[in-house]
Amino acid sequence: MKNGPQNDDMSSFEHRSQMLFRESVDGLDYTIRSRLTEVRHTALEAAAQSSRRPWLLRMALWTPAAGVAAAALLGVALWFAGPSGRLSGNHAATADAQTNLEDLDMVASSDPASGDAIEMLQDDLDFYDFADKASNSGPAA
Amino acid sequence: MPRFDTLHPAWMVWEVPAPAPGGVVLEQSQELNKFLTDIERRAFRMAQVALKDPDDAMDVVQDAMLKLARNYAGKPSEQWRPLFYRILENGIRDLQRRRTVRKKFMVWLPGAKEDPENEAQDPIDNVADGSPDAPELMMQQQAMQKLEGSLRALPARQREAFMLRNFEGLDVAETAVAMGCSEGSVKTHYSRAVHSLRDQLGEAW
Repeated sequence: MKNGPQNDDMSSFEHRSQMLFRESVDGLDYTIRSRLTEVRHTALEAAAQSSRRPWLLRMALWTPAAGVAAAALLGVALWFAGPSGRLSGNHAATADAQTNLEDLDMVASSDPASGDAIEMLQDDLDFYDFADKASNSGPAA
Repeated sequence: MPRFDTLHPAWMVWEVPAPAPGGVVLEQSQELNKFLTDIERRAFRMAQVALKDPDDAMDVVQDAMLKLARNYAGKPSEQWRPLFYRILENGIRDLQRRRTVRKKFMVWLPGAKEDPENEAQDPIDNVADGSPDAPELMMQQQAMQKLEGSLRALPARQREAFMLRNFEGLDVAETAVAMGCSEGSVKTHYSRAVHSLRDQLGEAW
């Protein structure tokens, strides 16, 4: 009520209309005033309720979202810690490649300390050949 | 019979900011109560000037109060006044639109009643009481009635600008927020409203 058109700038018409409006506001009857009071209390009650309620409602809104997020997290955890190993795909591939290289290295190695690898493989073939013949000849009498 | 059963959709609740601690809520509630107490009668009269029907005016004021309390109570209190009047003016416009639609349908109904807006006023309402200031009071009431009639005849934006600036005393910036337009438009609407009202009411008013 203080910020409207400045009094100096207002014409007599504007002054008069403002004065008449204020008189009409002051002249409101008791019924209207009590109804306005009732309406105000309803609004204040609504404000109090809404300041309490949103947390519950927000919880209700976020519960499905939290469930979906938790399920996704669990899926990711199971994917990486599944039966194929605890390592991630890249790590597992690197480890396999390393093992193969070690085997090849061992096979190709001619280091006297580790023995002749080709000869060792040859020994193994002799053993497998013997085992095959033994099984085909049937049980000994 | 007044209608106080207006319900609001639940989605409005989502706009409410996070609740403040208990003490702050109480303080805010007291401040809101003070604000609404200060504003309610003027808001009602402004709605009544625009809509004429006191029950409709009460409904619109109730709606505006509820919306402000539910959705904007957490805003700084200095923003409440333009926000409240924006909600109120939107409510008034909505009701006027609904009335226009209803009027169009009523034309096609046989034996439809006249719109209550156009019904003659009860002459007993205008009878002066026996107090010494009665003649002056009656003259003031008549002058106000003429002003109200002229205001209703104005385009909606001009009426809004005039009531917000002159009756409620909002400054140009606040009026612009309340009307959802630029400050330049507010000045134009207000100036045109003053000129139109002066022309309609004449010098004798």
